[in-house]
Formats: sequence, structure tokens, C-alpha cells
Amino acid sequence: MKEEQIERLLNELGRQTIEPVRPGLAEDIKHHIPQRLGPHRRGMDTINIIIDLRINKLTAAAIIIMTMILLANFFGGRDSPGNGLYQDSKMLVEYFLRTRTDRSDLSAVKSRYEHLIQTGEQAVYYGDKADLQDSSAVLLQWKLPDGNYRVITGDLQEKPVSAEQLIELLSKMLQKRN
Amino acid sequence: MVGRRNGKKAELTEQKTVLAHLNNKNSNSEGIQQDSLAARLTAGEHAAAVELVDRYYQQIYLFMRRLGHNRQVSEDLTQETFFRAWHHIGQLRDDKALNAWLHRIASNVSKLYWRKHKGRETASIEKIDVLDSGESEPDKAANHEQLGQVKDAVERLSWKLRQTIVLHYMQHLSIAKAAEAADVREGTFKSRLNRALRILRKNIK
Repeated sequence: MKEEQIERLLNELGRQTIEPVRPGLAEDIKHHIPQRLGPHRRGMDTINIIIDLRINKLTAAAIIIMTMILLANFFGGRDSPGNGLYQDSKMLVEYFLRTRTDRSDLSAVKSRYEHLIQTGEQAVYYGDKADLQDSSAVLLQWKLPDGNYRVITGDLQEKPVSAEQLIELLSKMLQKRN
Repeated sequence: MVGRRNGKKAELTEQKTVLAHLNNKNSNSEGIQQDSLAARLTAGEHAAAVELVDRYYQQIYLFMRRLGHNRQVSEDLTQETFFRAWHHIGQLRDDKALNAWLHRIASNVSKLYWRKHKGRETASIEKIDVLDSGESEPDKAANHEQLGQVKDAVERLSWKLRQTIVLHYMQHLSIAKAAEAADVREGTFKSRLNRALRILRKNIK
């Protein structure tokens, strides 16, 4: 059969492979439309700005809370007992400075994870739970078509591992955490 | 019995007319109308989301059916497609065609489904015979047989090649838009299309 004829038949097939759609389907989909598409997106924009600035979300939240406490103290005229506010602030700033580099690396790994998910890969991200000082900690894993896995470890090395090796790495990680 | 069959046929024909009208309307309105719908969607307008569903849910459902999903799964995956669309509405740009964007999400949803259910068999979509063609009876029979062969051959293609054929010939997307929907470059899409046609030609006598 000639290619033109196949193309003609395919076009015809497109016109003929049509079947009734359940009328309620559209309503079912409409019921799941979020009521506020816009504000949700704006919220996500704020989070994206935080990610773009390479600030960890937890740190950002801590800074916001700290600012609120400072403002409350400023306007309320009350001081926290035992210089607690000062100590807390110092601790937070130290935490922020110490983890800033680690967190920016981690956000790169997380971006990789999000990309893998978007492309339909079976990926798992452990960055939120992993100990960043541990070079063998698995930050990200994803399955390969041949049944093996690729992982990104705490030292930001990317390597292929078998299923058994992955289980071993994850077990070690769990043991260290416990 | 005959009456009921005629009734069903009439219902299908009516549905077909509606879909053909819908396809025409969508392809004619691409550009200004779609862009404005995209702009309204990115602005978070709820009515625009409703309009998007009304305009595309049948197309996406049929896309799923043509990719080999059964009726129930196609309904679920159509819902999943729109669900994902709401969550990725920020990716939508004015200059992007909505049709290709939605088909791209739908393709990913379908691909993920097949990946999770590797052993599951594909389901065949019902073919409606054109009622008012001017062909003679023998020609009609020959055409009917050829269409059946093409349909079977398409169903035997790999998911990637089947998606290529479905996007371009059955969902009627241009090469550029179909390539965007398949998330590949135009050149890659054309090469896939050639490969699929070659296999079809080989398998259809």
C-alpha cells in the first residue's frame, strides 16, 4: 500500500474513531477546578522567589517568624526574659550561614528531582530527611529502564547502582538516623 | 432491536457532528481566542477553566481512547490531565497553543499509566462507518477492510509511534504542535512519523 493511501486512511480513521463521551465527565472535571487558581499561583511565586534566592524554606519561615517577634517586641515594648530573643536570633543566623551552601546544593538536587518527575521518571527525593554531612546519604534516586537505579549522594556524586546496592545505601542511611 | 440500533447510530452520528464542529471551531479559533483564554487562565479566572474543560474534554478523552486506554481509564486519565493542568497553569504562556499544551500533559499522563500497568492490554476504540459516503458497495467494503487493517496495525505500534500517529493524523495537530505535545523537536517527530508510516506500510497488505 502506498504511503499517501495510508495517510488518507489514517485521516479517515481519525474521523471514524469517535465515540460518545459520558455527559457527566465534563461536570466531574469542573468540580475539581480549584476555586482560586490565581492566588495559589501567587503563593507559588513567593515560594519560587525563596528558592531562587537559594534560601531554605525553613530558614525563610524562621526569618519571617523572627521578624514578627521583633516587631511585636518593638511595638509592645516587652522584652523576652534572659535575652532569649537575642539568643534565638543568633542561633538562627548561625544556622542560616552554616547551611546556606548545603541548602543551595540541595535545591539544585531538588530541581533535578522536579524535572525527573515532570518527564515521567520514577524518582524519589530524600533531601528533606537526609543528613547533608553524610557523603553516602542518598539525596535522590530514580529508576533506569534496565531495572537499575541512579542516585545522587550527599557528596553530590551521581552514580548508577543496582537495586541491592540501593537498599544497602538506604538501610545505612536509616541506621545512622536512628 | 433494529430501532434501538438505529437510535444508537443516530446518537453516534450526532456526536460525530458535534465533535467535527468542535474540531473546526478549535482550529479556527486558535490564535486570538486561544491566547485570550490562556491569558485568562494564567490570571486565575475560574470561568476560563470551565471554558477550557468544555472546549477540550472530549478531545482529550478521545486521545486517551486512541492511545489504547479503555473507557473507564480514559475518563480517569482525562480528569487527571485537567487536574495537572490546573497545577501547571503557571507554565502556560500566551504564545503557547493550549491544544498542544494540554495534549502534552495528557501524553505524560498516559505514558505514566502504561509504565505503571505494563502488563495491561490495550483497548480498542469503536469505529463508526460513514453513513453518507458516495462510494459503491464493493468500494465501501474494500475501504472498510483497509480501515480495519490500518486500525489494527496502529494498535500494534509501540506507544511512542502510536502517539505520533494519533497526534498528527487523528487529533489533527500540525507537525509543530504535535512535536510540542510529544515533547520532542520537530525533526525527531518527523523521523518518528516516517518510521511509523514505514512500519504501517510493511504491516498492511
